[in-house]
Amino acid sequence: MTLHDDNHDHDGLDHDHHDHDHSHPHEEISITELPGYYDMLETAVRELLVERKLFGADEIRRQIEVLDSRTPALGAKVVARAWVDEEFRKRLLEDGRKGCEELGITFYDDTQLIVLENTAEVHNLIVCTLCSCYPRPVLGLPPDWYKLKPYRARAVYEPRAVLEEFGTHIPDDVEIVVSDSTAMVRYLVLPMRPAGTEGLSEEELAALVTRDAMIGVIPVEYQKRAA
Amino acid sequence: MMSSEGLVKKLPNDIGGDASGKIERVEHELLPWEKRCHALADVLDFHKIINTEEKRRGVEALGSEMIGKLSYYERWIVAFANILFQKGILTPSDIAGKMAQVEARAKSQLQGQPNG
Repeated sequence: MTLHDDNHDHDGLDHDHHDHDHSHPHEEISITELPGYYDMLETAVRELLVERKLFGADEIRRQIEVLDSRTPALGAKVVARAWVDEEFRKRLLEDGRKGCEELGITFYDDTQLIVLENTAEVHNLIVCTLCSCYPRPVLGLPPDWYKLKPYRARAVYEPRAVLEEFGTHIPDDVEIVVSDSTAMVRYLVLPMRPAGTEGLSEEELAALVTRDAMIGVIPVEYQKRAA
Repeated sequence: MMSSEGLVKKLPNDIGGDASGKIERVEHELLPWEKRCHALADVLDFHKIINTEEKRRGVEALGSEMIGKLSYYERWIVAFANILFQKGILTPSDIAGKMAQVEARAKSQLQGQPNG
């Protein structure tokens, strides 16, 4: 069994910088105690289904690799392209999934993607009130807070207060639109390009775009390096 | 005071609009078994064995006490087992037998390791 391998770097994708909470070194996997009940339950279910040939063990391994390859760096690439390429931006807003696929991002989970553009008049926020639907193909797995009750319950009726808790103040004259994701339709926020970034390359722009900005809880920030 | 009617109209997952506390910006790196569980969910969906909506309903069917006490992926794996029972794909004794094997295997691995 190599399912415990925690190999994060086999796909050549750019994994850096977007998720500072993930920078701790991974612990060496060694068995020092018995696996917990749910861990063993997962193993039991999976092995039984593999024995019955409902799918192969290799499919699980491959899917783990797919999950590991999906990080907010992909979404950031999409956002940066939309900022620099007006025609791409239009196509992306028309069909989010096709736009991402143009950049080589595959959709493994059979979901549609709607890209919501922030403007000076409208700020978008995404949530899944029922569970944890999230644009996984382009952002990876959602953070825990996105799956927990306070965010899910409150985002739909007091988004301004929720945003304030993320340190984001949206002026009263800016409309806030909250989009509730479903099993079939997922959303991605296209944040506003920050002022002062005219001279930046597409890669430099992508490096500014964070996961939370694509959920809509914070803006993309740019601080010019002090001269 | 919430009447029983509220329980009928709103299932445990349907919390959009409820009052709730401050958002704590918690996150964690998935444990190996949690990541396997997520991959399992995707593979079950690809093969149309359990789709995403069935999974969501399966979690809902655990009831609010289990939903409240189990972690996210604990709810998923228990829901999968229940759905597989309902579909006649696995039985509770299949699971019990396999879990005993898994546990025995883990114990022997544990004993076989030089430094634990």
